[in-house]
This record gives sequence, structure tokens and C-alpha cells, in this order.
Amino acid sequence: MSRTNIVVILLVAVLMGTLFSVFTTNSESVVFARAFAEPGVEFKVSGTLEPDHPVVYDPEVAVARTRFHMRDKDGEVREVILNKAKPTGLEQSESIDLYGRVIDGQFIAGEMLMKCPSKYNEQSHSLAEATEAP
Amino acid sequence: MDIAYIGEWTWAASLGRLLLAVAFASALASTIGYVAAVKRPQSSWMQLGRWGFRIHAGSSFGASALLYLLIFCHRYEFQYIWKHLNDAMPVGFMVSSFWGGQEGGFLIWMSWMLVLALLFLRRNPGPLEAPVMAVHGGVFAGLSSMLLGLYFGDFQFGLDPFLLLREAPQNMGLPWTFNPDYLALIPQFADGQGLNPLLQNYWMVIHPPTLFLGFASTLMPFTMAVAGLWLGDHTTWMRRAITWAFFGVAILGAGILMGGAWAYEALSFGGFWAWDPVENSSLVPWLVLVAGAHLLLINRNKPGTAITATYLMVGLSFLLVVYSTFLTKSGILGDTSVHSFVDSGILPQLLAFLLGCCALFTALLLPPGRERWAFAAMQLVLALGVTMSNPAVCILLMLALMTAAVLRGHLAHLPRPEKESPLWTREFWMFVGGMLIFASAVHITFQTSLPVLNHFLAPFSSLFDRLFEATGWPLARKLAEHDLAPGTDFDATYHAIQVPLAFLFIGITGFAQYLRYRKDSGKGLFMKLLRSLLTATVLTGAFLLAYDFEAWEAPRVALLLACLWSAAANADYVIQVLRGQWNHAGASLSHIGFALVIFGAVLSTAKKDIISANRFGDLSMLNESLSNEEDLLLLQGDTIAMGPYYVCYRERRQEGIHAKFAVDYFETVPESYEAGQVVGKDGFLFQCSSDHTASPHFTSDMEDHWTFIPIANDRQQRQAKPWSAGRPGPFAFALDPRIQLNEQMGNAPEPDTKRYWNRDLYTHIKWGRVSDPEADEDGWMDGRKHDLMRKDSLVIGKSILALDSISAVTMEQKPAFGLLDKDLAVAAHFRLTGNGPDTNFAALYIVRDSLLIPDMVTLNGRGVKVRIDGFRPAEATFETVVWENLSIRRDFIVMQAIVFPQINLLWLGCLIMTAGALMAVRQRKRTESRRNPKAT
Repeated sequence: MSRTNIVVILLVAVLMGTLFSVFTTNSESVVFARAFAEPGVEFKVSGTLEPDHPVVYDPEVAVARTRFHMRDKDGEVREVILNKAKPTGLEQSESIDLYGRVIDGQFIAGEMLMKCPSKYNEQSHSLAEATEAP
Repeated sequence: MDIAYIGEWTWAASLGRLLLAVAFASALASTIGYVAAVKRPQSSWMQLGRWGFRIHAGSSFGASALLYLLIFCHRYEFQYIWKHLNDAMPVGFMVSSFWGGQEGGFLIWMSWMLVLALLFLRRNPGPLEAPVMAVHGGVFAGLSSMLLGLYFGDFQFGLDPFLLLREAPQNMGLPWTFNPDYLALIPQFADGQGLNPLLQNYWMVIHPPTLFLGFASTLMPFTMAVAGLWLGDHTTWMRRAITWAFFGVAILGAGILMGGAWAYEALSFGGFWAWDPVENSSLVPWLVLVAGAHLLLINRNKPGTAITATYLMVGLSFLLVVYSTFLTKSGILGDTSVHSFVDSGILPQLLAFLLGCCALFTALLLPPGRERWAFAAMQLVLALGVTMSNPAVCILLMLALMTAAVLRGHLAHLPRPEKESPLWTREFWMFVGGMLIFASAVHITFQTSLPVLNHFLAPFSSLFDRLFEATGWPLARKLAEHDLAPGTDFDATYHAIQVPLAFLFIGITGFAQYLRYRKDSGKGLFMKLLRSLLTATVLTGAFLLAYDFEAWEAPRVALLLACLWSAAANADYVIQVLRGQWNHAGASLSHIGFALVIFGAVLSTAKKDIISANRFGDLSMLNESLSNEEDLLLLQGDTIAMGPYYVCYRERRQEGIHAKFAVDYFETVPESYEAGQVVGKDGFLFQCSSDHTASPHFTSDMEDHWTFIPIANDRQQRQAKPWSAGRPGPFAFALDPRIQLNEQMGNAPEPDTKRYWNRDLYTHIKWGRVSDPEADEDGWMDGRKHDLMRKDSLVIGKSILALDSISAVTMEQKPAFGLLDKDLAVAAHFRLTGNGPDTNFAALYIVRDSLLIPDMVTLNGRGVKVRIDGFRPAEATFETVVWENLSIRRDFIVMQAIVFPQINLLWLGCLIMTAGALMAVRQRKRTESRRNPKAT
């Protein structure tokens, strides 16, 4: 057994270990029903902003609290609290990933990722509509 | 029916498409010619290859030039120009609008590859020419096919940069597209949409071309590796690829860090690196290229070492560039990134190109002859399977087959050294370092690729479900859901693995240079390293004192130590061993630069101090562990403490497309207290016993200067101010964090940073109004509801509205209030203080015949209106609505401020690293030309 092989085998072992840890550390992605069934456990819930309800952010009352309604993948709509200042572009977001847990019957998120029409996005082109009747 | 459109450059669209079609066809011809010429270099096939390449290069450059011509002539009838350009953009951004979209991105990437290929051809390529250029031809054909813009029914083949807006699918068949004079008639064609304002930053001019040059520079080592396998000559190409590989290391490294600088300067992620898929997918090829370049160096000095690993690293660096193009342009990342990636319709093409490149490379690792053909045939069958049946399973099988081919090639085909290097040789440790860097790249790729992995897991979902039911193994359930995503906690997701790996490979850069190739040279090594080790230990100690580290941060501290040691040891190497011969110091310099980059990145991230965090904040709010008070509410005109400063939000003003929020910073000077003053601290009251200047902590002053007041009287309670160590001193500087008013994308905050030599103060707006709030014609804004009890108060503008007392309205008082005898009424006695004389008034809650009679109290001079909408007797609480007039409104912003310590080391390190790598490239070229004057 050469030393080079030992190095390679060790590295492969380390990598397998890290990959395994990747699977176990990432927060699990669920729907509201599961998060409410297991209060206190951190989950990731993905969904979309429910436009029928307003996004409430009142910095004069609480700088880091945003309330809004989210529709999860099963279509369930819930009010959620995000413990952050209202992220820019929340209203424009196409989808939302919330990382949080249920406390006292309320889903409270500490972290949020949004998918937004951002700089990598080709803008939608509404020239067709704009120019229908020249 | 042909319509002669008036004023439209129809010819340019035709010419552009012709050029691209010619480019595609000639790349194919060049490939065929060069492939045939590998076996018969003297034949006319070589001429076909060369001419094909020349025509391809000419027409590709022609297409780029034409696109630039259209940009500079503002031809908005072209979709690409209309999307990425407008009249308002200055020349610099006009230049950068070229790479504003994917089409231009492909064009500039190809152009850089062509430039490098032309350089290669000028430098006497010898027998490598035919195989290297054959692979180039194939790559060029693949890339230019992405710009063909052909439609077969609904299937799109390539994106056409010269597409006219009237021909775009979404406009197809609309009446105006048949109007010959549409350009003049439709006002939208007078100006384009323009580059997204977020991209209108000077980094946009320099970062993408540098990055694309870096990406392009991975192609040459890759094609040379393929040529080596093809010709069965594993030494010639390795010698020649070194300079190309290190050129790529320098340029790609600089390009990546420029992206970081851009993010730090102009985007409000709150840092320079966010482990975003876009960033990761440019970092990974760089890491692998670094590993590959070092393995090439080993092979130059000890040919035949770690051949398989060398081929893999060099090959993978290019394949990973293609993979990252696939990831970011195909839309597959969709859900995991803060950025949005849209499927531009060329996913099948990108996937085919990626798999084709991988298959070609792995096929050549196999022994020549039957095995290669069998492998190719199996891959083709599976590729057919991708289009016909289950793509995920078929691609998985293709990848498995490729892995098998790599193993087979390693065991049966590629040469392996008979005798191993001794332990203490340079090549052994360089190899170990390279493998560690590769491990780090694998980990990052794995995290970034989880969305891709989900696609592979999908077909096995039911299998995992059954496994979960049988074993109750949570991992099985996770896999069954095939919705894996990288975690949001960077410490757990990335740093936990990356920090130890970086510690090891940076440590290796500290001593590997002191070892010699091929010869066991471990003796006396420790003595040579002693100086740098001591220096690094002392420096680390100093940093430990300067920035508080906790025990759990030990891996981080170890990494910092390794960085400092590597920097010190490499500097010492230049002095001790090279004796100041700068020509040979390129490698040492780039190691120093790399160590500084990592040092700056780790320290500034680990010890970043969010000084806007509300450290004494309202802990009762919600759940403490989740509460995230990182932001500061600043009312206009208020001066409040923030970290080592006092800050004051002075004004908002609009400049161009920015709403700027001017925030003044003041030094903090110690507060002085006089005998007799009363202060509150943690809910207790204290009286000052002797005049003094406050020290930073109350506890140190308490014994000598303060007397505790056990039972405070009314006067003392009223006079008490919260204790504070400091007060605002002289004006220091002003920052203008801003919000970009961006109609296309929504408003976006942009930071403003105060730079010091040893730290940055980085501030950005988390929330701010870009225009005055809505109000009626008298200036009243929308009312706000408050539940008020006795002694509650509200801040309204500069005044405070307090509910002093509650009383029932008696029979005798009713006529005075204009009430009937049968009415029930409760009075809320309010007091408005501040910004004018104290005003007492009462607002009534009136019920007449079980109907609520609204009673609006308006204090016109003070800009306040109050109405009681409800009364809950059990809680003695009034449901109150308060209106505020614009005239008394105070604007406010929510701001975040972060101190990044020693971040300048990161940028300095980047410069040193790039300069060092380029120096090494130059030196390598010189020695090569001295040794072998013909083939440089």
C-alpha cells in the first residue's frame, strides 16, 4: 500500500463523512402541517406570498418583525412572523423559503430566502402588450 | 410576403445570423480537418482544419464587432439591444451592455477562447496542434450552436443575439409587426429598457470580461490534456500546459474576487461572499485549476507522478466551468438561490454539451481501441435514453459509466510510477495539498449541486419511502422527499468543513517550498521554519488579544495561524533561500497573497461587529433566541449611540436614480455628571454624589460616585435620565447609504462604507421611505390603532401623547360635553407634551342607545387627531385611533451598520496573489524559451 494511496483513501473517507453530514445537518423542508405538528423543531417551509393579506411591517413598533401570509406547497395559508426588517422585494418575490419553528401556535422564522426577479433574470417583456394598439 | 421595413437594419440581422451560421459550420469543418490531421499531419486535412479555424475566428469576431456596432448605433429594433441598452447610458455601460445577457456572455467567452487559441497557434504548437485544435473546434462548434437561434417547431436551438423584436416569439403575428413603418410609429422603439440599474456599476465593466477570460483560460489546459491522452504522450503537454494553467489561476482568481468586491461595494448582501451558487460555481473551477496547475508542476520536475490525478484535475477545471454555465443558465438552481435563474430554453443544448465534453474526456482515459468505442457506444445509447425515456436515470448511468472509465483508465491504461517519492519531498506535499484543495472543491460543488441531486433522487423516491417505513431511518425520508437544500447557517454548511481543509492546505504552502523535488530533504527543515513559526505565533497572539475569540473558535484561530505562518514562511523563503531574486519569487508571492486573502476573509467574517444591533433591546419581544435585532431605527434629527459613534439621520435627498439618506457620525466623548443628578440604570435610580467623568462601565463608577436611591420621590423619578457612558462629541464624517429607485426590479438598497486602514464601517438601509407617505388634502396620514391603558404613552412626531387618567362622565358633566342624560360616557384624559406647551384634553367614549357615537378630538396646531373607538372595562383599555399630520411627521430609517475588521488584507492579498501568479507565468515562459527556444 503506497503512501499516495493512503492519502487518497483518507481523503475519500473524509469526504464521505462530510457528505453524510450534509444530509443530516440541512434543515428539513416541510409544509406547515408538519411544522405545526412538531412545534419547536426548526424546519424550512417553502411557499409563496399570499397577496390577499397585507405585509405588515411597522418599524416604529418593532424594527425586526415582519408579518405576512404565506401559502405553502399544499396550499395552506398561514400568517408567519419573520424576525427581520422587511426584506426588499418581498412583494415582488416569486417564492419564499422560511427557516423557523412553531412557537405558541405561531410560525416564527429567523431566516428567509427569497427568489426574486433579480439581476440574473431576464426581464419580462411586455412590449407585446404595450404595442398592441399603436 | 416580404415587407420592406422602413429604417430597420434588416441587413444587420441577416449578416449577424450569417456570420454565426458560418462560425458554426466552419468550426465543424475545422474539427473534422484537425481530427483527420492527428494521424496524417502533413495531409491537406491540416489545411482544412486551419482554414476552418481561421474562418471561424473571423466570423465570430465579426459577429461580436457587429453586435458592438449595433450597440453604439442604438439599434433598438434588436431585442438584445433593446433589453440591455438605453440612451441614458454612458459609454462605459454601453461597452458592458454587450455582456448584459446570455447571448453576449457566450460571445465574449468564445472571443477570449479564440484569442488564447490564436496565441497558442503563434507559439509553434508542433505535434500538439492537430489534437488541441480539434478539441477546440468541437468546443467552438458546441458554443456557437448556442447562438444559432433556430426553431424546430417549439424546440429552440440556441439564442439569437441578432433577433429583431418583431420576430420575437412573444410578438409573432401581432398587427404592428406587419407595419413597414413600425419603428417610427411605435414610441417604445425610440429608447431601450436599458441595463438593469443594479448592474450599472463600474465593476460591471471590468468584472465579467475578467471572469470570462478566466473561464476561457481553463480550455487550453483541458484541450492539451485531451491531446496528451489522444497521442498517448503524457509528458509534452504537461510541460506546455503549466503557463496556461497558472495564467488561468491568476485571471480567474482576480475575476472571482472582483465579483466579491462588487457585491461588497454595491449590493446589500452584507458582505463580500455569500456562498451563493453563482459565486460557488466560479470558485470551484478555480480551486480545481489550482490543484491541477500544481500537479503539472510536479510532473515537470518528476515526470510520471500522479498521472491520473493530473489528468482529472486539469480536465475537471474546464468541465466544471461548463457545469457552472449549465447550473446558472439552465434554470435548474431555481429554488436554492437568492438569485433567480431562468431557463432560457437552451437547457437540452447545454446538457448535451456538458455530457459530451465529459464523455469525450473519460473515453480517452480508457485504453485505446475497442474499449473506447464500446464506451462511446454505451454513452450514445444512454444519451438516446435521456431523450426518449427517463432522463435522470439515464444521466445517472452515464455518470456511473464515466466513473468506471476513470477507474479502469487509472488501473489499466495510464502509467503509474514504480517508485514512490520519499515523504519529505516537495512533490509529495504538493500532491497532498492539491488533493486537499480538490476535497474542498468537491464539498462546495456538492452543496451547490443539491438541486441537481434532487432531480436524481426523484426516480428513487418510492424506494426510499419503503426504506424509511422499514427502518425508520430519517435520512431515508429526507432522500425520499428529494427536496434537499443547502443550510442557511454558513458555519455548519460550509465553514465546518472548509476551515479545517484550508488549515491543512495553507499549512502545506508554508513549508512545501523549503523541500526539494525527488530528494528526501526533511532534515533541518524545522530550523529553517523556526523564524516564520515564531513570527506567526506572535502575530496570532496579538490578533487574539485584539479581537475576542472564544474556545469554540479554535479551528478558526488555527486557520488564522496557518495563514500568518504561510505568509511569513513564504516571505522568509524569498529572503533565506532566494536571497531576494524577485524573478523567482512569483510562487512565494502568490502564496502570501492567498494566505492574506483567506486571513482577511476569515477574520473580517468571524469578527464582524453589527454595531447597529440593539444590545439592550426589548428582550421580552417574542422568542429571544429567534429575535434578530440587528437593525437600528433612526428618527430624523435624533442623535443616538451606535457602537463607538453617535449617529444622526439628517435628511433624505434624491440624486438621479438614488434616494440618499444622509447619516452624520459623531465621536463619542465621555459624559460628565454633576453632584445631585439622578440617573436610571437597569431599573434602579442613583444619585450622583460627586462631579466626575463617566467610565465605560457603570459598575466601575458606582462605588465612588453614585448613591442608590431606595425609594424615589416624584421629582427624582421625573428627573431621572438613563445612564450613559458617553455623549455625542465632534462631527466625524457622514455616510450616504442609499436606495436605488429601480422601476424594473423594485427598489434596491446600496451600502455606503467608511474605510479605515484596519477596518471598514459598512452601512446600509434596511427600510426607508423614498417618498412622503400618503395623506389627505389637509395632510392627515392614515390613522393608527393603539390599545391604551392608563399611563401608556405614544411618540407622535416630536411630542409624546400620554393617557393620564380615565373617568366616567357624571350626570353633572354631561351638559358641558354636549351629551344627553341617557348617554353612557367614559372620558380618557390625555396630555400632549413636547414641541409646544403641555396640552390636556379629554376624548370621550360615548354610547347612546347602544350605538357608538364617534367623538373626534382634533388638535390642529399640534397636528394630532384622536378618537376612541372602543373601551374594554375589564382591562381598562381604550381602543384608540391616532392620526398624525404630515406637518409634524418625522421621517425615519432602519439601518444596519457592520464593522468588518482587517478586510483590506483581503483586497491586498488578491492583488499580491494575482501579481505573484503572473510573475511566475512570465518566469516560466522565460526558462522554457531558454531551454527549448523552438517550442515556446
